[in-house]
Amino acid sequence: MTKYNFKSIGIFLGTVFLLCLFSACKTEPNNIPTISNLREVVDDLGRKVKLPTKIERAVSLAPNLTENIFAVGAGDKLTGVTTYCNYPEETTKIQKIGDTMNPNIESIIALKPDVVFVSTASQIESFTNQLEKQNIAVYVTNPNSLTDVLANLKKLGELFGTQEKAEKFVVDLEKRTSAIEQKINGKKSVKVFVQISKEPLFTVGGSSFMTDLIKRAGGESVTANIKEAYPKFSKETALALQPEVIILSESEDNKEPNDVFKDSPAVKNNKIFKINADIISRPSPRLVDALEQIADKLNQ
Amino acid sequence: MKVESRKSKAKSLRFIVGLLFFLVLTLLIAVLLGSEKLSFFDLNESQKIILFEIRLPRILLAASVGASLAVAGAGFQALLRNPLAEPYLLGISNGAALGTMFAFVFLGQFEFLRPALAFAGAVLATLAVYQMAKSRAGMNTERLVLSGVIVTTFLSSIIVLLTTLLDATKLRSFTFWLLGDLSQATPNSFYLAGITAIIGTLILTTTARSLNLMMIGERDALDFGVEVQKTRLIVFATASALVGISVASSGSVGYVGLVIPHIVRLIIGSDNRNVIPATAIVGAIFVVLADTIARTAIAPRELPVGAITALIGAPMFIYLLRKN
Repeated sequence: MTKYNFKSIGIFLGTVFLLCLFSACKTEPNNIPTISNLREVVDDLGRKVKLPTKIERAVSLAPNLTENIFAVGAGDKLTGVTTYCNYPEETTKIQKIGDTMNPNIESIIALKPDVVFVSTASQIESFTNQLEKQNIAVYVTNPNSLTDVLANLKKLGELFGTQEKAEKFVVDLEKRTSAIEQKINGKKSVKVFVQISKEPLFTVGGSSFMTDLIKRAGGESVTANIKEAYPKFSKETALALQPEVIILSESEDNKEPNDVFKDSPAVKNNKIFKINADIISRPSPRLVDALEQIADKLNQ
Repeated sequence: MKVESRKSKAKSLRFIVGLLFFLVLTLLIAVLLGSEKLSFFDLNESQKIILFEIRLPRILLAASVGASLAVAGAGFQALLRNPLAEPYLLGISNGAALGTMFAFVFLGQFEFLRPALAFAGAVLATLAVYQMAKSRAGMNTERLVLSGVIVTTFLSSIIVLLTTLLDATKLRSFTFWLLGDLSQATPNSFYLAGITAIIGTLILTTTARSLNLMMIGERDALDFGVEVQKTRLIVFATASALVGISVASSGSVGYVGLVIPHIVRLIIGSDNRNVIPATAIVGAIFVVLADTIARTAIAPRELPVGAITALIGAPMFIYLLRKN
């Protein structure tokens, strides 16, 4: 009995050893052809990432990154996107690889991308190692304001080799932004409450890019003094703030202002503005659309 | 003998009256505190709305939910003859939550169905735990706790599955509610919870004598003329209704049903005639205080009340377990 056990352990270890050898052989040839045309870039987290000089196949794990990649004219390089990605129209034809929180690693590997664009640091730990073993680079970038978006577009243009288009696009966005700034220059700012969710009541705090967006559009978020980006907010205080305008990030559960606002100047004067949640809550070029819409409504 | 029992009766009555006084005091303190300072002697229009339409309904809902969950805990503990029986730990809250979620997603336009389906969910979960925990040798603590764990995790997985399959924006507010949230209180939502809490406590108090005898042993109870089956059914249905209604209005506020009856029994002994009404009052005090912390600690932001009750409840429970 004992002899037999030793024998089977021997066979097992031998098999494992052989498998190791095989797998070592297998990864070797994969590395060789790509090394010559790799370059090293630094992503938003300061990680050094090796990317091919010409990216042919990319996967995006966030809807705003997908929009940004399309904006710089590299949408045709996207071979995989998330189920949340719904803009522009062309994304519907791209293969879905799960959602931002639960991307399917097998589908990503099967697509053989050169690089995967990731927006949250929490995602990378779980599968960066797995992807990098397959020679798939992971690039982390998380634009979180209008200024960030412009920088992100330039960076993406650089990575995809579409600098010219990206530059032009950024200049265009900057023109639109400064046009609004001129328009509202000197006007009195309006007290705005941004409602993210009706029940329970959620709003935006100072660290959210929406606070910045409201300010650029000639308003002032009444909850700007709160640090957290998206706090659950006291109804008592919400009522006492008496906002002049309520902006709804419009989604299924957020189509009307919370009942506590029923006597606020905003509701009485019918100053309730809905802006599509996809436009106002994704740091993408469409933030400028949101900015124009808000400015338009605040200055009616 | 008779004199002594009369004495102890007077003592427990004094105790309950004292608790009621404490409850009123707690409610008063809760009314005075909030993220907005109110000038109580000269309320303006919007302060009136803050007080009567936002703060007061929320405090009263907190009291109703606290009383309901605590009494339901005491009821289940007497019924299952086990001090660890608790709506949250046995998966009964999860059953109610799944029922509410079902009504929310598939019958969204009929808001009145939420408490009804929550009740149904609580009943089904209790039945499942009961059937699993029962064995020929009777019901021991390990079997009961294990059955509770199984039902809890099974129902949690269905809830997670549903939230994954359904539209995320529709269920965002729901997932927050699951952790216990009293901010959605309106004057109307409090009536149902308040009336259920009061009637439920009264019904369970009337079964207290039978429950006392059943705790000694069901055969002894039968010998004393207790209608065991009927009592069991009443307690079971009432406790499930209490859990169902409070979960439908405020999600799963944990640990109330476990910690409160324990504390009450430590103070006044295990006679259910005293334990049940006292538990209701102490439960109300506990959740009102927890929610006052949730409302004011980082105002104008808010904390989830379920996290506060668990934060106070879990260490208290460990302490009680060690002391016994």
